Amino acid sequence: MLRDITFGQYIETKSPIHKADPRVKMVLLILVVVLIFLAQSMYGLLLSLAFVSMVVLVTKIPLKTYLKNLKAVLPIILLTSIINMFYGDNDSGVLLEVWKLTITYGGLYRAVFMALRIVLLIIVSSSLTYTTTPNDLTDGIEHLLSPLKFIGLKSAVHTLALMMTIALRFIPTLVEEAEKIMNAQKARGADLESGSIIERIKALIPILIPLLISSVRRAYELAEAMECRCYNGGEGKTRMKQLKLTSVDFKIMAVTLIYGVAVVLINIIL
Amino acid sequence: MAILEVQNLTYTYGSDAIFIKDAVSDVSFSIDEGEIVGIIGHTGSGKSTLVQHLNGLLKPTNGKIFIEDNNIWDNPKEIRKIRSKVGLVFQYPEYQLFEETVFSDIAFGPKNMGLQGEELEKRVIETCEIIGVKQEYLQKSPFDLSGGEKRRVAIAGVMAMRPKIIVFDEPTAGLDPKGRQDIMEIIYNYRKATNATVIIISHSMEDMAILADKLLVMNMGSLVMFDTTENVFKNGDKLREMGLNVPIVTRIFDVLKQKGLNVPDDVFTVERAVEVLKKLKDGERNA
Amino acid sequence: MDNIIEVRNAVYEYVDEDVVKRAVDNVSFSIERGSFTVILGHNGSGKSTLAKLLNGLLKPTDGDIFVDGINTKDEETEIEVKRKVGMVFQNPDNQLVASVVEEDVAFGPENLGLHPSVIRKRVDDALNSVGMYEYRESTPHRLSGGQKQRIAIAGIIAMEPSCLILDEPTAMLDPKGRKEIVSTLRKLNKEKGITVVLITHYMEEAEKADRVMVMNDGVIIDDNTPKEIFKKVEVLKSVGLSVPQTTELLYALKQNGFNISTDVLSVEETANAIAYCLEEE
Repeated sequence: MLRDITFGQYIETKSPIHKADPRVKMVLLILVVVLIFLAQSMYGLLLSLAFVSMVVLVTKIPLKTYLKNLKAVLPIILLTSIINMFYGDNDSGVLLEVWKLTITYGGLYRAVFMALRIVLLIIVSSSLTYTTTPNDLTDGIEHLLSPLKFIGLKSAVHTLALMMTIALRFIPTLVEEAEKIMNAQKARGADLESGSIIERIKALIPILIPLLISSVRRAYELAEAMECRCYNGGEGKTRMKQLKLTSVDFKIMAVTLIYGVAVVLINIIL
Repeated sequence: MAILEVQNLTYTYGSDAIFIKDAVSDVSFSIDEGEIVGIIGHTGSGKSTLVQHLNGLLKPTNGKIFIEDNNIWDNPKEIRKIRSKVGLVFQYPEYQLFEETVFSDIAFGPKNMGLQGEELEKRVIETCEIIGVKQEYLQKSPFDLSGGEKRRVAIAGVMAMRPKIIVFDEPTAGLDPKGRQDIMEIIYNYRKATNATVIIISHSMEDMAILADKLLVMNMGSLVMFDTTENVFKNGDKLREMGLNVPIVTRIFDVLKQKGLNVPDDVFTVERAVEVLKKLKDGERNA
Repeated sequence: MDNIIEVRNAVYEYVDEDVVKRAVDNVSFSIERGSFTVILGHNGSGKSTLAKLLNGLLKPTDGDIFVDGINTKDEETEIEVKRKVGMVFQNPDNQLVASVVEEDVAFGPENLGLHPSVIRKRVDDALNSVGMYEYRESTPHRLSGGQKQRIAIAGIIAMEPSCLILDEPTAMLDPKGRKEIVSTLRKLNKEKGITVVLITHYMEEAEKADRVMVMNDGVIIDDNTPKEIFKKVEVLKSVGLSVPQTTELLYALKQNGFNISTDVLSVEETANAIAYCLEEE
């Protein structure tokens, strides 16, 4: 858990998708999510399955890793499927009748359909965090939000991006510090592992107070250091890293567009 | 008599560890009651990992630790009891202060050990006397103290548990010369008052020369030397290979020796240096 | 003489529990462009406050401070003063903003609104000059204290300041890290001609400075070359400072009737002085 927060979910495999522009990846992800919802027929969904499988293959990240992410949402998938199972129309033929509940073929079809849809959504979303560093994500968000500058939200965009950057920078530092303080209090005989819930919460005070105090101190020192580095609220600020579209981005866009057109066509034809 | 015995201690961190700790491999040594032992080694040599095993904060991957002839991991549920026998003062201990008053912060450790009421009060006051924290400070907030004072209060918090072995991880880090001297003095005073065994991690060879009976040298997770301070400092070349050094006075005497002067090789403090040079001077005059 | 910083009768007062206290008490001096100055003082001597006055982070209660002729009190030129006089603090962790080294170093130049290609070049140059170029894509969290502090220095250098002020930059570092920082500073001073003001309580770091100022109770009590300063062992000890063991030994020998000069600093020089003294006898 801590580990995930600390280092993000980025996995380096040097695939073409890793090299792609974070803005492109984010916009395309939104598009793909919409398309997966648009795919109303099994054909459309199978096409989506083919597309997502291709993404998984191209990222060179093992399917096992993707499936790990599914574990956490398994109850939701099951629940959705089960509910859907009972909502089939009776015309499609009854598969099973238990007490007052009827499971039809149509219901079963819907259940499988919904489950597959959720699985695809999760896998394709994971592919973004697996292939993009938290820093690139921050950059991408800042750039995507930059149109807001024109409606007078310029400093808000900068502030948001800076907040995300600083959070990424300090999370590992604070987690490490929490661990140190915890060890120091344990060395003074603090019992963090036993007792009732209330006792355990009380036992956290000797950890939370020093952590809070040191965070405030850090924030104060950081503010001074930033002032010394000519920070004045992002006014007139430029960026060293300019995001530039490369051939990889156009290729990814093209493939996704073809998939999109196909989904729409299937919807129209069927 | 050995109060602490470490047998074949090995610690490896798993690849899924959140924070990488320096490994320790196959370290064995024993420390007698009342000794002052310095641990030296550059950053990453495993010294901090080593000392966190002594009070059971880390569990060895392999090997055993005996305190007063008892294996501390015989009964893992009782590991907290070890912490009152082996006190550990971390680097920058002032960052662990949290109570409203200096008194209650110092009392935190002994209270966790089960001390109450008058006994607890007596313990806190005694500790303050040993380390020279003024009585009037006891009702102050620890956060109103200066940096050096905070550190003293934090150290008192561990000393108040009256550990038989007290371990310091770079107790003087970040302090100015006066602050450093103060901390060295309270360590010395605690030792005198309780006859505790003291283990200190330090980068200052000059401090070690004055304070330590023995030195334990760590390099890349292994114990490379464990001997009297004198014998360790006689191995200047070996220390330098590991990125360590001998006290500055000793370096001066190395140069003198190279110049052909007849000086002994056991000069580690200014006091001893003056003594030796005086003899040499008088000797030449007499000759 | 060309001075980058001029301090004229600077006073800094603050209120602590309803009592007005003076951290800096009527101090005047100037820092010559291209020089390497060390300010020594124990904790609480006012040296950190003085440092913050020099780049306008704090404004003097009384008196004036000029950076390149600009009064630090001037609000309109505040950014200009900070660009000219860069500042590095004690804890490297609390100075780094970004989780990628090169992005952190770029923070200052980005704030100055420079062109991306200019920033890129400055970041690369700055990282090279502190010897951290190969770590440009690492995360600071994985680096040693000395390396992190070098990144913090690079972050300032990338703004191309004329003067670099460092407030106890080595206090939290191990001996190796301390050496790294001191040699980096020497290199920046010699090769890039950056004026360095190093605030510390480690005497050893003052050995090769052009000039040493000693601060106590908000006042500069001495201002001279390192050799002259180090001779005054008693004075230094009385203000809570210590001398290097070389000086301590020479001083002890002198007190014990040795006719020895105490104005040498290095191990080699000290040994020579002792050998010479013994031969003389």
